[in-house]
Amino acid sequence: MTVVLRAAMDQGLLALQRQLRALAPDAALVTDGEQALEHLTPDTRPPRLVGADVIEAGPMRARRVFGDPIVAFAAFLDGTQTSRVLAYVDGVPIVLGTVAAAVRVRRNRRLTTWHRPVVQRKLYGALAALLPAHRRALESLGVPLVDTMTSAGATTHPFVLRDDAVHRIQDDREAAERELAECWCHLEHEPLFIDGSISGSDRVAAAECTVGVVKSHRTLYAEGAALQTIFALRRAERSSVFKVTSPKRMPVASWYLRLRDPVGHDPMWGLVRVEIASPPRIDVGAIGEKADSVSRWILAEAAPLAMPDSRWDKMVYGIRDCEEFLRAVT
Amino acid sequence: MTQPSLLGRVVATERRPNTPHEFHFWTGLDSPVGVGTIVRVEGKYTINGQITRVYGVVVEGFSYSDLQSPLHDVLGHDGSPAAASLASTERAEIRLYTAAVLRQIPDEPLQPVPLGEVYLADDSDVAIALRMDGYLAEGARTGIPIGVYHAGGTDAPIYLDADFLMGPEAAHLNITGVSGLATKTSAIEWILSSIFTHFPAQKGSIAAVCFNVKGPDLCFLDEEGTIDDRDRALYEKCGVPAGPFENVQYYAPYKSDGISLNTLRSNEALLHNVTPLTWGLREVLQYAEVLLNKDDVDAKADALIDFIRERIVDRDFHDDQMLPGKRYRVRSFADLEQWFRDLLVAMEQRGNESWRTHHIATIRKVRNRLSNISTRCAGLVTDDGNVGDLPFGSFQDRTVYVIDVASLEEDAQDLVFARVVTKLREQLEKRELGVKHVIVFVDELNKYAPGDGQDTYVRKMLLDLAERGRYLGLVLFSAQQFRSQVHRRVVGNSGTALYGRMDADELATPGYAVLSPAVKTKLATLEKGQLMVRHPHFTQPIFVRFPRPAILRGRDGAERYPQQQDVSLEAAVLRALRPLDSSITLNWVKDITDMYEREAVLRAKNATLLERPADVKRFFKSQLAPIVPSKPVSRPMVTPIRTAPADDPYGL
Repeated sequence: MTVVLRAAMDQGLLALQRQLRALAPDAALVTDGEQALEHLTPDTRPPRLVGADVIEAGPMRARRVFGDPIVAFAAFLDGTQTSRVLAYVDGVPIVLGTVAAAVRVRRNRRLTTWHRPVVQRKLYGALAALLPAHRRALESLGVPLVDTMTSAGATTHPFVLRDDAVHRIQDDREAAERELAECWCHLEHEPLFIDGSISGSDRVAAAECTVGVVKSHRTLYAEGAALQTIFALRRAERSSVFKVTSPKRMPVASWYLRLRDPVGHDPMWGLVRVEIASPPRIDVGAIGEKADSVSRWILAEAAPLAMPDSRWDKMVYGIRDCEEFLRAVT
Repeated sequence: MTQPSLLGRVVATERRPNTPHEFHFWTGLDSPVGVGTIVRVEGKYTINGQITRVYGVVVEGFSYSDLQSPLHDVLGHDGSPAAASLASTERAEIRLYTAAVLRQIPDEPLQPVPLGEVYLADDSDVAIALRMDGYLAEGARTGIPIGVYHAGGTDAPIYLDADFLMGPEAAHLNITGVSGLATKTSAIEWILSSIFTHFPAQKGSIAAVCFNVKGPDLCFLDEEGTIDDRDRALYEKCGVPAGPFENVQYYAPYKSDGISLNTLRSNEALLHNVTPLTWGLREVLQYAEVLLNKDDVDAKADALIDFIRERIVDRDFHDDQMLPGKRYRVRSFADLEQWFRDLLVAMEQRGNESWRTHHIATIRKVRNRLSNISTRCAGLVTDDGNVGDLPFGSFQDRTVYVIDVASLEEDAQDLVFARVVTKLREQLEKRELGVKHVIVFVDELNKYAPGDGQDTYVRKMLLDLAERGRYLGLVLFSAQQFRSQVHRRVVGNSGTALYGRMDADELATPGYAVLSPAVKTKLATLEKGQLMVRHPHFTQPIFVRFPRPAILRGRDGAERYPQQQDVSLEAAVLRALRPLDSSITLNWVKDITDMYEREAVLRAKNATLLERPADVKRFFKSQLAPIVPSKPVSRPMVTPIRTAPADDPYGL
């Protein structure tokens, strides 16, 4: 997920604010150039360690990925979101959220857009807390409205309402990514590099052609010695494959892979977690070979660098290209 | 009709905005766009009920990737360039072009170029963009093809407006470029062909006078050369027949021997249209200041020359006081020399210091300088007053008159320029030349009209031609290697300017500051047969390709038609008179001229050529003074000397 630059967003925001001022002059428009909410809303998920079952032969250990990198990914998928407060109406923050997702397909070593990207713009707010006239004014703006009120007795503190809106926008962004990934799985068979987890969609998580690459490590799937093993991974080394399960998500096979030499950096530098479909029947030999193969695909994407993005140590160029494309079209 | 394919999109940012005269657009990496490409922008909005449409020519190009620092690329490939080629993905890359606006429709109000779609200009777009539609309309067509604009799939002929090339609106053409690439001379030959083909009938007749100032450049304009299919296609596109000039007349002075033509076109097979160029006293004296520098001609000398010009030359002159009993009619340098000699002798005998206010020293000085002219310009200026000249008064339409001055001394070249151009101007003013327009082509303008150095008669004459010629129909086509070194008023008055491949040092001079770095780079690397054109109707320079002239190149001609070796006097006379009377033989010439001095024979030959009589043999003989046959002298009777007695030693 990426936050779209403010300048790209302002155009639509200002137009809506002008319309709203005409329809509801008493609405408190936010015109002071406030930051995108993604920067203001902290990630409330606590960092945690979760134990996982190793499904490859032997205990959790570092495994060298032998062989030259292989260029295998045909396309890259990523999504973006941005949220800005349009106005405070009756004390309720009305948030303009834009979500987008795109698949960039690689042909002749150049990336172009596959099918149509998903771009959605909606207004998010606790609609039940608004006066009917103000609600009608918002409805007449021509942008879909999303009610973020979770329950009738929920608190009406604006910050809480604002965070709720951001979470709904995040859900929408994930849904957009999921929609495109499922479409790819339906129409294509070549490997798709997905930025983030694939476990959110049954179809994508079970597909042979999708590979999820997770850059954030708020949740680490190892404890104790296994964690030390992961931290000690050197460039082009991977961990043993383990199974990630969650009550709300599909189980997937996963492993850690070090893309770049971490000497002089923090332990998570250049470290990604890879997800692929969990095989219905675990074959300890075959899953290791598959992990090696997919690791070689991912290592092939280590160049060109995704600079100047600050996450370039973990990000591949195809994902940066997706983000740049979405930045241009949203 | 196929739909034009979209080429790019106009972009503008706060840092790089579009203006009414410039805009930016990006294209695909494989688009057929380059510096000099003409494009059309389709706007999205209407102004005064008309959708805006903008035409531009690409003047600059940029390419960059999403890299923030080159170092990132080095890091990404571990410092190994070879690894870069193995990278799975090419970086995102942009082709961004800057175009200068050629024309906006509607013309008013003049607004910044809108964001819109960019298309490659087709033939009709090129005509509109360059405002050629104004002078290519049926019935009022004054277009002269200058070459073909080529970009992508477009091959569009580019036309100059005859009203702005030959006057009266603007006039003159200047071409510049490095030597040795066969661009300048070839371009002029091509343009003359094009003008002769397309010059509008309503504008009247036209001829060209070309000064061949170096080598055999213009010596074979009537001989067919080889061209390839590509050139032929260009000729066809421009509607110009691929062939040599049909009507060419050559003029060349003699060498100092007075019998051999001083030109590389002296091969006997080509002499049918070569006329000797010889001038006498009358022709030269009018331009004495060309040959006499300011140190020579002070006010006193100038007054005496004026006196001679007005009162002596071609007039009956007598001075009973100073030259009693003598009558003069000075027609040649020889006559003038005789007059000077008699006058000075008379003054010395009488001890006079001055004659008619002219001091004897001034008279001696003028005599010295004027008598010297026929020596300095030997071959061109004759002592005997015979004249071979351009056909002033009977110039022919669509005819090229080439004057070969390549082998002449600098003074003599100046004299030829000065006299020919002045005569052309005088006759065009009086509408007596025979044609309505004359193109004068002068190469090596660096030499004849330099931007610095002392003022010369030739430079003044070229300036006058550049500034006032267009009103008369006298048009200057000039060429040089370094435009920056030519007098500003000469090149500045050239409505049309052509540029071949340029030297980088020349491009660094201030005169080229208006060109973008990309255009300069293109100019420095232009291929043979390519030109950059500036014309009053074109708001920006345009690149065109022109065909190689279907004319025998100078060097090839010199090899195919080697220069004639110096010939004997009799052979020279035969060669000169044979075209007038084919019955003349070498033996006849030898018989007739055997007893005469060389000068007398040449005088007779020149007089015959000048007169072109019906009976050539009789006329030629009549020009030679009759030789009185010798008679045997009867010896008178002489009284024999008496013999002395043998024994008388005293003879008594």
